Amino acid sequence: MSMGRREFLRTGLLATGAAAGGVAVKERLVADREEAAEKKMTVALTPDGQLVAVPVGAPAPPRPPTPAEVRRGIPGRKWVMVIDLAKCDGCGECVSACRKAHFIPTDREWIRLYKKQDSPETAPYWFPKPCFHCDDPPCTKVCPVGATFKREDGLVLIDNLRCIGCRFCMAACPFSARVFNWSRPSEDPTETRPGAAEPEAGLPRRVGTVEKCDFCPDNLRQGKMPHCVMSCDMAAMYFGDENEDAVTDSAGETLRLAQLLRDRAGYRHLDDLGTSPRVYYLPPSNRRFPAPGEAGARTGKEPAPPGETRGLE
Amino acid sequence: MAWSNRAAPQALPYAQQVERDLLFTLEPLGTRGRTWITALLGVCGFALFAYITQLVNGLRETGMRDFVSWGVYMTNFIFFIGISHAGTLISAILRVTNAEWRRPITRMAEAITVFALMVGASMVIIDMGRPDRLLNVIQYGRFQSPILWDLCSITTYLTGSFLYLYVAMIPDMSIVARNAQQRGRPAWLVRFYRTLSLGYQNTPAQERRLNRALGAMAVIIIPVAVSVHTVVSWVFGMTLRPGWHSTIFGPYFVIGAIFSGTAAIITAMQLFRKAYHLEKYLTLDHFRKLATLLLALTLLYTYFTLSEYLTTWYGGTTVEVRLLTLLMGGSPYGMAFWFWAVTGLFIPLGLLLIPSKRSLGAIITASVLINIGMWLKRYLILVPTLETPYIPPTAVLHYHPTWIEMAITAGAFAAFMLLFTMFSRVFPIVSIWETAEDAPEAEKIAVKAAPTGFARPAFVRLRTLIVVGSAAALGVGAAARLHAQQTPTEPGARVELVKEIIAGEERLVATVTVAGQPLKGARVAFSVQRAFSPLTLGEDTTLADGRASVAIDSTLPTGVSGKLAVVATIVSPDKFADVQGQALVPGYRIYPAGTPAPGVPRALWSSRPPLLIVGTIAFLATIVWTTYSFVVSQLVAIKRNAPAELELALRGPLPRRDRAG
Repeated sequence: MSMGRREFLRTGLLATGAAAGGVAVKERLVADREEAAEKKMTVALTPDGQLVAVPVGAPAPPRPPTPAEVRRGIPGRKWVMVIDLAKCDGCGECVSACRKAHFIPTDREWIRLYKKQDSPETAPYWFPKPCFHCDDPPCTKVCPVGATFKREDGLVLIDNLRCIGCRFCMAACPFSARVFNWSRPSEDPTETRPGAAEPEAGLPRRVGTVEKCDFCPDNLRQGKMPHCVMSCDMAAMYFGDENEDAVTDSAGETLRLAQLLRDRAGYRHLDDLGTSPRVYYLPPSNRRFPAPGEAGARTGKEPAPPGETRGLE
Repeated sequence: MAWSNRAAPQALPYAQQVERDLLFTLEPLGTRGRTWITALLGVCGFALFAYITQLVNGLRETGMRDFVSWGVYMTNFIFFIGISHAGTLISAILRVTNAEWRRPITRMAEAITVFALMVGASMVIIDMGRPDRLLNVIQYGRFQSPILWDLCSITTYLTGSFLYLYVAMIPDMSIVARNAQQRGRPAWLVRFYRTLSLGYQNTPAQERRLNRALGAMAVIIIPVAVSVHTVVSWVFGMTLRPGWHSTIFGPYFVIGAIFSGTAAIITAMQLFRKAYHLEKYLTLDHFRKLATLLLALTLLYTYFTLSEYLTTWYGGTTVEVRLLTLLMGGSPYGMAFWFWAVTGLFIPLGLLLIPSKRSLGAIITASVLINIGMWLKRYLILVPTLETPYIPPTAVLHYHPTWIEMAITAGAFAAFMLLFTMFSRVFPIVSIWETAEDAPEAEKIAVKAAPTGFARPAFVRLRTLIVVGSAAALGVGAAARLHAQQTPTEPGARVELVKEIIAGEERLVATVTVAGQPLKGARVAFSVQRAFSPLTLGEDTTLADGRASVAIDSTLPTGVSGKLAVVATIVSPDKFADVQGQALVPGYRIYPAGTPAPGVPRALWSSRPPLLIVGTIAFLATIVWTTYSFVVSQLVAIKRNAPAELELALRGPLPRRDRAG
């Protein structure tokens, strides 16, 4: 698997582009994205194989999937996430975007931001951890009622209308991805997002049931990436389809998945537990910002609510 | 400690003595007895109030939170299921091995099993976030989940325990029925006992049937009991957690269960002995024999504990060491662990070790300490592991049970004792017929009871129901029609995109034309559409013929459609920028068109269980339930063979009891 010259050049080009996108344009990124979304047209492939021209980011025609479709997943897809630890600066935007999109109460998080240090001699780094949507999911093995299930597109979802609240899945998940509705929700989830198909609705707030990161399947159906990925100012998160061998970051940059993992020595967290996570990490090498704890580093806390301005410390 | 109003009976021949002494337990309650039951009812009522509070407000009323998601409810569950093993061990194993001294103990032991199981199983329901969806376990049950294994084996065990308790009680029911009639108890009560007795009158045919049923039950209940605590341990052992994911968890839990069960039966024996003046039947000798057993189990449990923790400590995996530091270090758990090791293992060991020093007091003390210790040990198996996740959380985790959990736990113990007390009010707590059979003068009581039952020649045929499950095949076929298509561009520039083979290499070729004339020097970017945004393939500048091209990577997979949606976009000159040409070209690695959809394998996580699991469960269940059916068929035979002097007895005077001899 040696790298050809052409490939090498292209990699270099892409990496340079990514670096430029990541740093120079950072502040303007959000505005750019919105502007681009208004103007640009792109081609989209309909499920029946037709190629149509649609504006970038346009929602797919709203037809809620049937329960059988929800259980099977989006045909032909194999969703995958890549998190570049070298780019993550611990700003916590992903956590807060997730909270906003899924109306997550303050007592829990679907994506958690850990400060990790592998050994006393090595440098600490930020470690955002969503649900890994494992290919051999220990949580799904133990569910007595099939309330949590693995789909053909790789997602592990929870049917909160079936969950009996035994919390076996929480005990079984080695990554502590799952959280429980210990109390009654303040709002009625059925009121908040009408028309969405249940396990994909992204709003599982029902007392006595388990919830977790769902990779935003309602977004995926509309051709949009999960909220955390789109919110990442550092473009440290990639999301894509393994079947297409491509992942995209928040700047809209698309890379070959296999090549990215090969060039950057991608790995999966606690891979030797044998759960085959669908989330890959790129090691925190050559960082361009202070490590956690160093002068000028971020706190790893979720950003303050809207209204307060934030910049790089 | 007289619980009963009546005076103790006089000395009589042995068999009659046994009968009188043991029926004495069914006499009306004294003041202390009433106070006891009232107190237990009070605690249960308070627990009910606590549970209703929890139902209304959700599980936030407990101390459990996202990391420590199981607490004292699960501890109680393991503890009570453990206690339930008293019945199996004492009764079945001793019956199978024909240990004569078991006789006065069996009834108590079998009753413990039934009530501990009922309380233990209800703890799981109390722990559930949605008890209202309990029936989902039947409707959507997945046999890959250890919870379903639990459900199967606990249901089987509970059924078996009821059956076992009942079969061994049939001869006593005749005696009690006769006694109740003699004493002028209410007619419905007499009828109740008489119905339960199945008309058993100790005829040779009935006796043979009874022994056959008892023998079958005693043998089959042992593997069932072992399976129960094994699968309880597997709820923990099947996860990847440190301290749980252990190969010895099955046997470790089974030994722990028999250990705590034996201690529980000794404690219960002492309570009933005091309450009902059974000193004559529950002698120091019985306690000493059980104490020998308890000693062996204490040593076994110590051995298992050592084996479990020494290997994990010596190996020293990061996460295991983190757990052991929490469990045995300076934390409150460390103190609790060593407190358990001293009071739950070493002190009982000292009290039981030397046979001549085994006084009744020492044995009872050891048993009570072991019972307390084993509850604590189960808590220490559960909670510290949950406080040691693989990815250590930023906040410090600590679980403290709330008053709701304490109240419900107290209620569980009260309910267990209440059920046991009420049982002993209605049924003889020491088996009369079995104890009498063991009469010193080898005198056998012929249990000639009041004729009973209304033996209808009802033929009960037991059938095996075969449930045929049908599997639906999932067919996925999708034929996609694909057209190359070009989006209209602004007048002036036009991009046509095709795939060509140039010099043996596959290339994407874009032809840029303006008003039909090729455009030279235009910079064209090539990309391929992916799920969220285009993947750049490269850039090229058009030559005089208006053509620009890039090589197309043969490893580029097509995604859903089987075709690559390629796009050529003009980058410069600026006046034509963003003009696009698009095409669908055949790809190379094709997902999933061409190959059938992978479908869902029979993996552990899939919706269909692996056949091996289903087969094993079905096989084991068939053996056990066939045995149960056999036992029931024996009971039916007993009832059919009942001497038919029935109606008579209800009206006329009682026939005199025959004395066998």
